[in-house]
Amino acid sequence: MNDPTMQEHFLQRQTRRHFFSQCGIGVGSIALSNLVSGFSPAASHEAFSNPLSPKATHFPARAKRVIYLFMAGGPSQLDLFEHKPILNQLNGQPIPQSYLDGKRFAFMDSSHRINLLGTRRTFKQYGQCGAWVSDLLPHTARIVDQLTFLRTCKTDLFNHAPAKLFMNTGTGQFGRPSLGSWLTYGLGSECEDLPGFVVLQSGPRGPRGGSILWGSGMLPTTYQGVPLRNQGEPILNLTTPESISGTDQVRVLEAVRKMNSKRLLETGDEEIATRINAYEMAYRMQTSAPELMDTSGERQSTLDMYGIKQPKEASFARNCLLARRLVERGVRFVQLYHTNWDHHGGPTENLEEHLPSISQEIDQAGAALVMDLKQRGLLEDTIVIWGGEFGRTPMGEVRESTGRNHHIDAFTMWFAGGGFKPGFSLGQTDEFGFGPIDQSVHVRDIHATLLHQLGLSHDRLSVRSQGLDFRLTGVQPANVVHELLT
Amino acid sequence: MLHLFNPNAASLRFLAVATQILLFADHGLGTEELQYNRDVRPILAENCFACHGFDKRKREAGLRLDVREGALAELDSGSTAIIPSKPEESELVTRILAVDDAVMPPHESGKKLTDKQKEILKTWVAQGARYDKHWSFVSPIKVSLPRRSRNQDEEVHPIDSFILDRIYSEQLSPSPQADPVTLIRRLNLDLLGLPPTVREVDDFVAASRLNAEKATTDLVNRLLQTPNYGERWGRWWLDQARYADSNGYSVDAPRQIWKYRDWVIDALNRDLPFDQFTIEQLAGDLLPGATERQRVATGFHRNTQINQEGGIDPEQFRIDSVFDRVATTGTVWLGLTIGCAQCHDHKFDPIEQKEYYRFFAFFNNQEEPNLTLYDSQVDASALLAEQKELEALLREQIANKSEDIRVWEESLTAEQTTSLPKDLQKLIASDKPKRNAAQKRSLYAIGPGSQDEGFQKPYLRLHEIERTLGTGVSTMVMKELPVPRKTNLFIQGDFTRPADEVTCGTPSVLPALEANDKGVNRLDLARWIVSPSNPLTARVIVNRVWQHYFGRGLVETENDFGLQGTTPSHPELLDWLAIEFMERGWSLKELHRLIVSSKTYQQSSVERPDLREKDRGNYLLARQRRLRLDAEVVRDVELAACGLLSPKMGGPPVYPPIPQGVMGQGQVKREWKVSEGEDRYRRGLYTFVYRATPPPSLNVFDAPDGYSTCTRRVRSNTPLQALTLMNDAGFFEFAKALEKTIEREGLEVAFRRCVSRQPSSEELAILQGLDTLSAARVLLNLDETVNRE
Repeated sequence: MNDPTMQEHFLQRQTRRHFFSQCGIGVGSIALSNLVSGFSPAASHEAFSNPLSPKATHFPARAKRVIYLFMAGGPSQLDLFEHKPILNQLNGQPIPQSYLDGKRFAFMDSSHRINLLGTRRTFKQYGQCGAWVSDLLPHTARIVDQLTFLRTCKTDLFNHAPAKLFMNTGTGQFGRPSLGSWLTYGLGSECEDLPGFVVLQSGPRGPRGGSILWGSGMLPTTYQGVPLRNQGEPILNLTTPESISGTDQVRVLEAVRKMNSKRLLETGDEEIATRINAYEMAYRMQTSAPELMDTSGERQSTLDMYGIKQPKEASFARNCLLARRLVERGVRFVQLYHTNWDHHGGPTENLEEHLPSISQEIDQAGAALVMDLKQRGLLEDTIVIWGGEFGRTPMGEVRESTGRNHHIDAFTMWFAGGGFKPGFSLGQTDEFGFGPIDQSVHVRDIHATLLHQLGLSHDRLSVRSQGLDFRLTGVQPANVVHELLT
Repeated sequence: MLHLFNPNAASLRFLAVATQILLFADHGLGTEELQYNRDVRPILAENCFACHGFDKRKREAGLRLDVREGALAELDSGSTAIIPSKPEESELVTRILAVDDAVMPPHESGKKLTDKQKEILKTWVAQGARYDKHWSFVSPIKVSLPRRSRNQDEEVHPIDSFILDRIYSEQLSPSPQADPVTLIRRLNLDLLGLPPTVREVDDFVAASRLNAEKATTDLVNRLLQTPNYGERWGRWWLDQARYADSNGYSVDAPRQIWKYRDWVIDALNRDLPFDQFTIEQLAGDLLPGATERQRVATGFHRNTQINQEGGIDPEQFRIDSVFDRVATTGTVWLGLTIGCAQCHDHKFDPIEQKEYYRFFAFFNNQEEPNLTLYDSQVDASALLAEQKELEALLREQIANKSEDIRVWEESLTAEQTTSLPKDLQKLIASDKPKRNAAQKRSLYAIGPGSQDEGFQKPYLRLHEIERTLGTGVSTMVMKELPVPRKTNLFIQGDFTRPADEVTCGTPSVLPALEANDKGVNRLDLARWIVSPSNPLTARVIVNRVWQHYFGRGLVETENDFGLQGTTPSHPELLDWLAIEFMERGWSLKELHRLIVSSKTYQQSSVERPDLREKDRGNYLLARQRRLRLDAEVVRDVELAACGLLSPKMGGPPVYPPIPQGVMGQGQVKREWKVSEGEDRYRRGLYTFVYRATPPPSLNVFDAPDGYSTCTRRVRSNTPLQALTLMNDAGFFEFAKALEKTIEREGLEVAFRRCVSRQPSSEELAILQGLDTLSAARVLLNLDETVNRE
C-alpha cells in the first residue's frame, strides 16, 4: 500500500466502516441509540435524519428534477417566438393609446416610447406542431415538437432585480425562499454527495439581484442554492489546502469524527450527529464535485451536440452539459443563469448585433440538453424550463440603436419533459403581442404547475414564519395550468 | 437546527397540548374551565380565522369568529355559530363534528381538527364560550412569585421560582449547575462573543472553589464592563436593524454607514436605557437640541436598500423603503406583523389597512441625507465659516493677478514645468478662462505669489482647513421634511392607486397616542412605543434577549405576538421580566445580569432521558441547551483561539480574505481588496457585507443578509460549513497559527484555548497521534469549538 491513492481508499473505507459500525449514522441509528442508553431508537432515527433526505410527495409526481435555463435580462419574445407581421407594417407608428392606459413601464422618464418596432428577423413554422420560431434559434426550431410554449406569461414587476426575485420567489419582497429551496425543502435530495440545489452562471456578468435569487429566505440555509463555479474550485472551499496531503486530510477527518462522537455521547446533543454527517458528506463532495466537473469522459459526439469547443472553458453550453451530469446524479434543482438579454438598444445591448450573438450562445446547447436528456430517458421525469424575468415591448425605445423596453403583460417561456405536453402552445397574444387575448398565465400559476408536476400541492407546501404559513404562490389565488400537461 | 426548525410546527403546539393533557388527565373535560387564550384561541386562529376573522373581504358566510359578538350573531343562513352553553344547537359544533362535505374546516383548506381539538371547542361552547382580549394587547401584570423552593429558607432567584414551579408541577427536576469551566465559557460567549483565556478559566475555577456564587457575580460584573459586550450585543441589534454595507438590489454599490454601527456598540456599552436607545434611533433628529450622536442613531431606518438600477421610478422604491420601515418597526419593537396590512386588513390581528397607512404616515415625511462627522477636536462649523472667509479674501487678493499668472506661465522652461507636481502641470496645460478660483489660487501660490506673504499665510491656512475637513466621515441619517408629504392609503399596497388621505396614527387596539395641536410626528411615535402603557415593547424585547440565552423565547414566535403567534410558555415570567425591565430603568445590562444570575441559565446543558421523554423540545427549561455559535462568533472564537484576533474596535468595515470568484456573482463585480495588518484579523462584525454577495464564511453559518429585519437566526448544520472550517484559506491560516501554539505551549493549552476545558487522556491520545498542524486543524473543526454548551 505504498501508492498514496490506494492508501487513501483504504482509509476512506475504514472511515466509512467506522461511521457505520460505531455510530450507526448514515444507515440508521440503532447502533448509536444502543450506546446512548435511555434514548429510544425511534426518537434518534428522526433526529439524525438528514434535512435533505428524500421526503414523501403530496401525491404521485410526474417529475423528479428541474433544470431551469434562466435567460437573465428579459429575452425579446417578439424577435424569437412571437410572429407579429403587423409590427413591421406599422413600424414607427404609435401603438393605440387604449393599450397603454393605466400601464407603467421602466425608463418612463427617459428612453421609453410608444412607437411600434418591427423585427428584422424572419419567422417560420416548424415541426408537426407548426410553432413559429425566428431565424435566431435554428436548433430550438428543430425540437419544437418536444417543447411546450407558454406565450402569455404574466409577471408583476418590471425592473430587473425585483422581477428576478419575483420569478424565483413569487414575490418582490425580500426574505422568501426561492423555487429551488422550496423544492429541496419539500422533496429533499436524491443525491448524497452533491448539494440538492445547484446554480451555474455564464455570460458577461452575474444576474442582477445576486445570491438572493437562490436564497432560502426563512428556510434554513441548508436549502439555499450552491453556486458551482466554472473556474477554480467548483464549490467554495472544496479543495483541501495545498500543503495538506489526501492522507492527512483523511486523518484529520477521522480524528474530528472520533472526538465529535465522544462529545455526542457525553452531551446527547443530536446536532453533533448531524455535524458528523455533514463532515462525512463534505468529504464525499471533495471527490464527487471534481468528478462531476471533469467532462473528459464525455464522447466527442456529445460535446459536438452541445457545441462545446473548449470543454474546460466556462460557457452556457458547458453548463448545459453539467446540468445533465447533475441531474443524472440525482440533484433536484439546477438553475443556469445566462446574461445578458437586456436589449434596450444601448451600445452593448441592441437587437441587431447582440440579440443574435446571445441567441447563438444558448440555442444549440439548450436544444442539445433536451435531446440528450431524452436519449438517456431522463426527460421523462426532468422538467427543463427556458425563460427570463419578463419579456420586451412591441414598442421600440429611443437609444443609440434598436431595442425594446421591459414588458410584463405577455412573454414567452418554454418547458420540456416532466409531463409537459410536447409540441404544444398555450396562450395567444393580440396583434401587437402586447397582451393576452385568451388565457393569461401568471408566475404564480407557473409555480403552482411546476410544484404539481413534482408531486407537491402549492397550497400545502408551506413554512411557518411570524405566525403565518408562507407559500411559494403567496396569498393570491394560483392555479395549476392543466392544459400544459399531458 | 432540527429542533429550531419544525415545518409542521408541531413543537410550537407542545405546550398547549401538554397543558391540555395534564388538565384533562386529572379532571376530565368539563370540570376545569377552559381559558380562551390558552386553550381555544390557538385552535381557532390556526383553523378558522383565515376565513372567519378580522379581514372583512375574506370573510366567508358573513361569519366572524375572532370576536364573541360575531360568533353569537345570527347568520344570513339563519343559523348561529355559537349559542353559549348549548353546543348541540351551535352550528360551529355541528360543523366541526360533521363527517360529510359540510365539515369545517373544509377539506380543500388542508386543515383538520384533531378529536381533542373538537372536544375542546365543544366543551368551551358548553362552558359559555367566554372570550378574552388577546394576552399581548393587555398590559403585563406582575404576579407574586411562586414559592417553590423545597427548602423554605433557601432564597430562590425570581426567574427560577417561575421555572421551577412548572418543572415541579410536571414531576420533573431541574438539571444541576454546569461545571465552572462550562459556565465561564458560556458566559463569555453569551456576553462577549469571545472565549475566556486559559488564565481566566483557571482563575474562575479557583475562585468558584472558594465561593461559587461570588465568583460568578464578579465574573458577570467584569464581563458587562468589558467593551466586547457592546460588540456581541451590538450584532444582536444590527441583525434587527438589517445593517449591511451596500445598497442592495442589482447594482449593490457600497455605502458608508458604519458610524451607525459604532453608535450601537457604544450605546450598549454605556448602557443607554432601552427607551432612550429606541427614541434616538427612531427620531434622534427630532429631539430638542439633537446632538450629532443622536442624529447618527437615526441611521437605523437608513439601512433600507436603494435601487440604482436603470429605468426605475424612484418614488416606487422610496415607498418600498417606507414599507420596510413600517414592517421593521412593527416587528422589532411591537412584535407585530403590521406589514401584513399593507394590501388589505390584517387577516388575524385587529389592524385595519387604514391604520397601516396611518402608521406609514409617520415614516413618509423624511428626506434621507448624509451627515459628515468629524473628530471631537474639530469644530467643523467654525472651520467652514473660516474657510468661506479665507476663500473670499484670497479671491479678492488675486482678482487682478491673471496677467501675472500668464506672464509666469509663459516664462517657464519645459524643464521647470516637468518639475512641478502633476496636477499643476495639467492645470498649466488647461484652458485659461475655464479655471476656477481654487485653480487660480494654486497657480498664483506656486508662481508669482510664492513670495507674497500677505497671500501665502491665509492660503496655507485654507489648505490646512481643507485637509481637516477632508477627514470627515459621512453616514446616512434621517431628517424630517419641513412640510410633510401627503399620505394616502394605497389600494392593494400599489402606490399608483392612492385612495383616501390619512394622517399619522397608531393602531387602535393599542393604547392611544396622545395628539397635541401641532399633530404628531416620529418623535411622538418613538415615545409612544416605549411608553410604559404600551403592552408590547418591553415584553418583546425581554423575550428576544431571553431567546439569545436559551435558543428560544418564552414566546417562540419572537416576531409575532399577535393572534397567530404562540402563547408564552411561562406567561407570568414574561410579564414579570417585562415589568422588571421597565422598573430597572430599561437597562439592558441589568436584564442580562438578572437572567444569567439565575440557576435556570446556569444549568447543565446535557440531555437527560427523562426530559427527552417528557419535554423533548425543552420548553420547560429543566436543562440548558447547546447552541451553535453565530457566524461572526465562529470566526471570533477561532481567531481568539489561535491568537491572531485583533482587539481593535470600531471604524470602517474590513476585508478579510475570501475565496476567489466570490465577488463575480452579482451584476457588478465589486472589488475586495484584502485588508492588511491587523484588519485582516478583526472580529466578524467588522467584515464588509455586500448584500448581493455576502461574505461566504459568514453566509454559510446563517449570518443575515441585511435585506430585511432578522429577529432570530436560523442555526443550520451543513456540509458547506464543514468545507469552510476544513479548507477555507482564512481558517487554514488560523490553524497554522494554532499549530505554533501547540509547538510553543503544548497540545493541552491549544485544546483549552478552543474549548476551555481540559482534554481527557483519550482525546489527548487522538491528537498526539497526529502531526501538529493536523492537530490544530482538528481542534478548529470540533463541534464543541463552534458551540456554547
